[in-house]
Amino acid sequence: MSQRSEVYRTSLLGLLSPAIVLSVWESAGALGWINPILLPRPSQIVWSLVELVADGAVFPPLLYTIALFVVGYAIASILGIAIGVAMATSETLYGLLEPLVEILRPIPKSALVPVLFLFLGIGKTTMITVVVLAAVFPVLISTFQGVRGLDPVLLETARTFQVSRMRTIFSIILPASLPMILAGMRVALGLGLVLVILAEMLAGEDGIGFRILDLQRAFQIREMFAWIFVLVALGGGLMMLFDLIERTLVPWRGKT
Amino acid sequence: MRKAFMIGLAVLGFFVLSPQRATAADLEKLRVSIIPINDVAPLFVAIQNGYFRDLGLEIDTTPSAGGAAGIPGLIGGSFDIVYGNVVSVLLASQQGLDVKVIAPGTKVSARDTDTTPILVRSDSGIKNGKDLEGKSISVNTRNNVIWLYARAWIKATGGDPDKVTFKEIPFPQVEDALRQGRVDASFLVAPFSIVSRQKPGLTAIANPYSDIQLGVDVGQYITTGKLLSAKPETIKKFVAGLRKGVEWFNANPSSDALLTMISGYTKTDASILKSIALPAMPLHTDLPQVKKTMELMIENKLLPGPLDLSKIIDPIAL
Amino acid sequence: MSVVGTLEGASSKPSAAGSIRRRLGPRLYGVLLIAAILLFWEVSSRLGWIVSAYWPPVTKILWAAISQLGGGDILVSLAATLRRALTGYAIGSVLGIALGILLGKSKVLRIALLPLIEIVRPIPTPAVIPPLILFLGVDDALKIFAISLATFFPVFTNTFAGVATVDDTLIQTARTFRTSWARTLLRVVLPATLPAIAAGLRTATSLALVVAVVSEMVAGSSGIGYYLVEMQYALRPDLMYAAVMYLAITGYAVNRLFLVLEARLIPWMGKT
Repeated sequence: MSQRSEVYRTSLLGLLSPAIVLSVWESAGALGWINPILLPRPSQIVWSLVELVADGAVFPPLLYTIALFVVGYAIASILGIAIGVAMATSETLYGLLEPLVEILRPIPKSALVPVLFLFLGIGKTTMITVVVLAAVFPVLISTFQGVRGLDPVLLETARTFQVSRMRTIFSIILPASLPMILAGMRVALGLGLVLVILAEMLAGEDGIGFRILDLQRAFQIREMFAWIFVLVALGGGLMMLFDLIERTLVPWRGKT
Repeated sequence: MRKAFMIGLAVLGFFVLSPQRATAADLEKLRVSIIPINDVAPLFVAIQNGYFRDLGLEIDTTPSAGGAAGIPGLIGGSFDIVYGNVVSVLLASQQGLDVKVIAPGTKVSARDTDTTPILVRSDSGIKNGKDLEGKSISVNTRNNVIWLYARAWIKATGGDPDKVTFKEIPFPQVEDALRQGRVDASFLVAPFSIVSRQKPGLTAIANPYSDIQLGVDVGQYITTGKLLSAKPETIKKFVAGLRKGVEWFNANPSSDALLTMISGYTKTDASILKSIALPAMPLHTDLPQVKKTMELMIENKLLPGPLDLSKIIDPIAL
Repeated sequence: MSVVGTLEGASSKPSAAGSIRRRLGPRLYGVLLIAAILLFWEVSSRLGWIVSAYWPPVTKILWAAISQLGGGDILVSLAATLRRALTGYAIGSVLGIALGILLGKSKVLRIALLPLIEIVRPIPTPAVIPPLILFLGVDDALKIFAISLATFFPVFTNTFAGVATVDDTLIQTARTFRTSWARTLLRVVLPATLPAIAAGLRTATSLALVVAVVSEMVAGSSGIGYYLVEMQYALRPDLMYAAVMYLAITGYAVNRLFLVLEARLIPWMGKT
């Protein structure tokens, strides 16, 4: 991670390559080397973006997507951690749930979108469920591995001191396996974003994925690229937020 | 850099699949994007009866469910010809894309063969556009031909389309959505409009195409202006072959041979297809009808103003 | 630190003589649970508790799945999807490993390329498909590109982070012995980074499959993703569910295969 911050420290140099790419793109467009209808110039896209932000049109779909994602991701994280801990600490629950998890986990979740329409109809419930299904398994697996990988002495000690089961989980197991849980949540973050955009494209009423496909069908390419820029900002923002939270919760991570 | 990297990847991908593309035939190959529905039956008739082969063409059809990838794929160079709807063509042209109509596809020519109704729950009491105000109607895609005529019908029957919520629901999910009350009305195409009424509970209250504009040209075969000027003879042959297919289709409606063929490319059960009345297919694009559609688009703010249709519809289609 | 591992792998139960019974014992309930869910499905469809054209009985789905074994559309579609997924995966992985190592070792490249990669990284792949269709069409080029893109990032990120943790003394030692730059890379850096690369590769396998299906759904004309949509439009839900079943089996098999290969090829994996 230190190498990454090294690039950001020399932030002027870091801006150099994106600047070069943008100016090549811009001048290629201005010189007519690329079809301006299919690939608008960055300045035109930024102008569309400014219009989107200025008249506030950017906010409802953006908030819609964020809301869907956050709700789905939160449910997936809580479920994943809870089931992961349960399966790792109870042999009975492990036996009960392991076959089901092993059957559901390998299904590419995108294939479940049409199936979920049938159950839940078109709408928010379906989209949130898709996000949950995509994000829950990485969290579950890494939580499970994290808890199973804990030092047995730690748990023995807790038992010796007759710490209650709930307290053992909340005060010992969860903090100790936090790095692994967060590693799973990081994978889940990316997967959840992929699926929320896909769900909006296939079953959307609103949201960024819906806008992008809608604009492509109306052949409004410039506006479509503006929305992709919005999505880049959203994805980047969420990842930075995640880094920040991880660094706060697990300050020792990455220093080994 | 990123772009170079993208192009590099694309090139790599291209090489991986290129052996598949090689064809040794001396026939000229045309790639056509279709929607697997009844409307493209004449094209398949022409393929199966060898009309294209006789003209030196080999037609390679690629299905696109719902047709969403058609025109973008044409622009992206995957197809030479695309079956698409009239609204998409006009939208694409208005945005500056180089699209040309070369042949008609489907026409709602008679009320008794119009299989595209608006359905409601029988006990809903909804009868017209006025009743729909404050309620919801489903279309497969917003801002397309279905959406446009649903709006026009609501307006024509006393309602304000802006007071009706339009929901996007893919055709296969419509019946469940209607029965479960997730939507109040749906504009639906065959075979879904037929199948969903086989069980009681749903009623058709209108046929917007017939009600608003009997004779509307719904579907068209489209190519790019570039291809049209580069290979006018090839396109001419395609249109000629297709017209022979239309003639055979119109002479043999609801024959078993036709139903088996449609079942083959739609993958729909032949018994379902039997209950669908097939409309006569058009030989020529009807310019005044396209103009009417364009005016509806302007009225519903899909287009800012009139387009020069003579530049979009090539004389070969007329 | 593999995040997409197995549940079994981490099980640290001692394997005594009665271990088979002990391991199947609790799992018996799990198998029974699945049987109960399937039975409920079957009954709810047969008795009409859930009325929908898209809710066929399980037995009908199984029958459809079995009848496909004789060379049906599902297997053909699945093969097309796998071919695309594999090609895209190979391209994305090679680029990810190469760039990960190069950027990890070269400061100039890092400064030149890392910001660009970081900008593109958070874009969810489905979002780039609509604009890409306009350039690459809807054929394999588009799908393979999308799959490569999705594969590239986890592989790159893991490789890059892995290179950063390679013990500097190792490299110093290699330098002392005047080992060539390329040889150091191949003999020292690569083996030490392999566990991290493998973790990235494994995350990427499931992503490659997901994106292959996604791209076929959005811009498809063949492959299992398109097949799913096509069967929906053709009013054949039994075949649609059967296709999902085959996909699940494929996903499971790919994950298993990966674990076996990993254990064979990188025996030092997870021993750090």
